[in-house]
Amino acid sequence: MSSALRDRTGEVLLPGDEFSFDTDDTISLTGPVKPEKVVCGPGLRRSGDRLLVCKSGVLRHKPPNMFWMDSQQRRYVPAKGETIIGIVTVKSGDVFKVDFGGSEQASLSYLAFEGATKRNRPNVQVGDLVFSQFLLANQDMEPELVCVDSSGRANGMGVFGGGGLLFTVSLGLVRRLLTPHSEILSDLKQLFPCELVMGMNGRLWVKSCSLQQTLVISNLLQSCDTMTAQQRRELFRRVAQGAL
Amino acid sequence: VSCSGTLRRGTWGSLESNQQPCASQHTFSNPCATTTRSNGEKLCSLEDCIEGTGVYPRHGYIYSSLAGYVLKKNEGGQLPVISVVRETETQLLPNVGAIVTCKVTSINPRFAKVHILYVGSTPLKDRFKGTIRKEDVRATEKDKVETYKSFRLGDIVLAKVISLGDVQSNYLLTTAENELGVVVAHSEAGAQMVPISWCEMQCPRTHSKEFRKVARVQPEYLQA
Repeated sequence: MSSALRDRTGEVLLPGDEFSFDTDDTISLTGPVKPEKVVCGPGLRRSGDRLLVCKSGVLRHKPPNMFWMDSQQRRYVPAKGETIIGIVTVKSGDVFKVDFGGSEQASLSYLAFEGATKRNRPNVQVGDLVFSQFLLANQDMEPELVCVDSSGRANGMGVFGGGGLLFTVSLGLVRRLLTPHSEILSDLKQLFPCELVMGMNGRLWVKSCSLQQTLVISNLLQSCDTMTAQQRRELFRRVAQGAL
Repeated sequence: VSCSGTLRRGTWGSLESNQQPCASQHTFSNPCATTTRSNGEKLCSLEDCIEGTGVYPRHGYIYSSLAGYVLKKNEGGQLPVISVVRETETQLLPNVGAIVTCKVTSINPRFAKVHILYVGSTPLKDRFKGTIRKEDVRATEKDKVETYKSFRLGDIVLAKVISLGDVQSNYLLTTAENELGVVVAHSEAGAQMVPISWCEMQCPRTHSKEFRKVARVQPEYLQA
């Protein structure tokens, strides 16, 4: 079955497409038969002896045996450990309520900042942008955010903002930007110097030297979502020549 | 119900339980459980009967705590048991130490809220509310408990009552024993899961494992 999956890697699949375990009719009688293990990532689900596709998208494969569906989605579902950009909405007692674009607001304790004690409260106001990660995220309970990692250090998280622009893109684009050697980011580096914060909930924050450059970068990133690599390089080249 | 014995009334010379009520004692027969008693009425003294349900002892006498009928049963001990019941049949209430079957209705990092469905093996007519605190889930490593890894919404849990609570709070329950915990749980795919250890259950359809605090049910109670 993993051969059937590998054949269809890169194809667009829809929910309801299935792969069954018994397509390998010919098993060699002479050579050793190893039971092949297939690891299902997001978008694939095992149901009895079949593998079902749950999300529409492109089937991706990572050797040796990891398969998942790459889907375009704008609605963010919180997961533990992911870093997001949130907006503080309510400041009540010891807890801030943060809106991250999910179905409910997450709670952020005022002690979850670096160097925060009961006497030394962090300077967080309603409307501030926070870059934080999920401590607790599941479907039955209210999500919890923290701005420190497990060792107690901020590691780049905390309140930021002022002078930049916050906009939303699809989740797939953010994941592409966060890959180790992202092409989009390397192309962007050659254009303008800018400060970029990427939240896995689909929110990006950009700050550049001037307002015009900030707007140009935000427009470029939003349009990168639906372009092929070729079209994107073409567009970046035009911008670098000063057409926009 | 055997209605033997008589209802004796003593005078109210003193309120100390160790002193005998003095003076005359009227004795009259008591027809079976037809006299109604209202709340707070004094029934008899502690030397005559042992208190049952619906009554409470105070200052050496037995008072009724419900409005209903008086029932006197001879259990075979030295003194008969007196209790007050309402008009309908006896309602079984969860007592401290009773094993109850409940369903999880909401979870929280600090506690889980449940609806109590059965007391022992009798179903309840009303749903009582209970709370299982985070520190009452397990007997060992209480501070490392995560409620999301012990219970989920809709799980059926066997628990023991440790406190009746006040007016506003619910029954306080505990699952800190091997035989208590999750009995029936459904996976995210919707199939009923099979327990594989005291802290994990597996879905038969998707073969994914989920964390629960699983009860060790005695083999004679399991149906094949």
